[in-house]
Amino acid sequence: MMTIKDYIEELFADIPESAEKKNVMEEIRLNLEEKVQDLVAAGKAEEDAINKSIVDFGDAGEIKRDLRAAGKAGADEDGAKPKKKRNHAYRLWFSIAGSALIIGLMVFINLYYSPFTIWFVYPVFAVLWWPLVMLFQWLGHPEKKTSG
Amino acid sequence: MISSDIIRGHLDLIILKLIIEKDRYGYEISKEISKRTDNAFEIKEATLYAVFQRLVKKECIVSYSGQITHGRERKYYKATAVGKDYFKDKVDEWQEVKQIIDIFAEEKNDDH
Repeated sequence: MMTIKDYIEELFADIPESAEKKNVMEEIRLNLEEKVQDLVAAGKAEEDAINKSIVDFGDAGEIKRDLRAAGKAGADEDGAKPKKKRNHAYRLWFSIAGSALIIGLMVFINLYYSPFTIWFVYPVFAVLWWPLVMLFQWLGHPEKKTSG
Repeated sequence: MISSDIIRGHLDLIILKLIIEKDRYGYEISKEISKRTDNAFEIKEATLYAVFQRLVKKECIVSYSGQITHGRERKYYKATAVGKDYFKDKVDEWQEVKQIIDIFAEEKNDDH
């Protein structure tokens, strides 16, 4: 015979372990077991009482979704999010260093070979898009992630 | 039994009302709802706990473990000041909805 405990463990089997999950499972188990006791006291056979309680319980989709969302938020705070942010910062610094090198080269070529025509600003404008895009991603990307 | 879809949007009101009256635990609330509505509306436990989670997140209710029965700790819920305000808002909202629906539901065909 299936018990309430078995049912709840099966129901939440696919949710990652957390203190929150344990609390919710414990609360639901206690309340369902009390319902079973009430039904038995009212004259139902124990197996019928358990089955009725399980059927009456309904769809746990929403509870599980909330638990999953809570678990994910917790994981993000623990490590995933800072790592992602660091990754963006790393790319931004890389792009700044890279563009500085390219701009330096342009300035050198300009001043060395044609000191009387200042043309290096034009490629510099083009190169500056690189760190700009990285900066935009750094600022814009994490916000998009949390809302979506 | 009434379709829970129609009541769904007003579950916060029902459950908050019961918790504001006095601190209660999960099964007590579902029993109380069935009792007061003469079994016309029975809340599914799954729905009930989803509402608890939502109300706790909104800081409308807080839980604490209280009174040990049959050697087990029950999880009780208590309404906060935020919860009481939210309840009043929900009641106002329901009054408004009721008036709007009544305009159409109780319309007598006087014009004909």
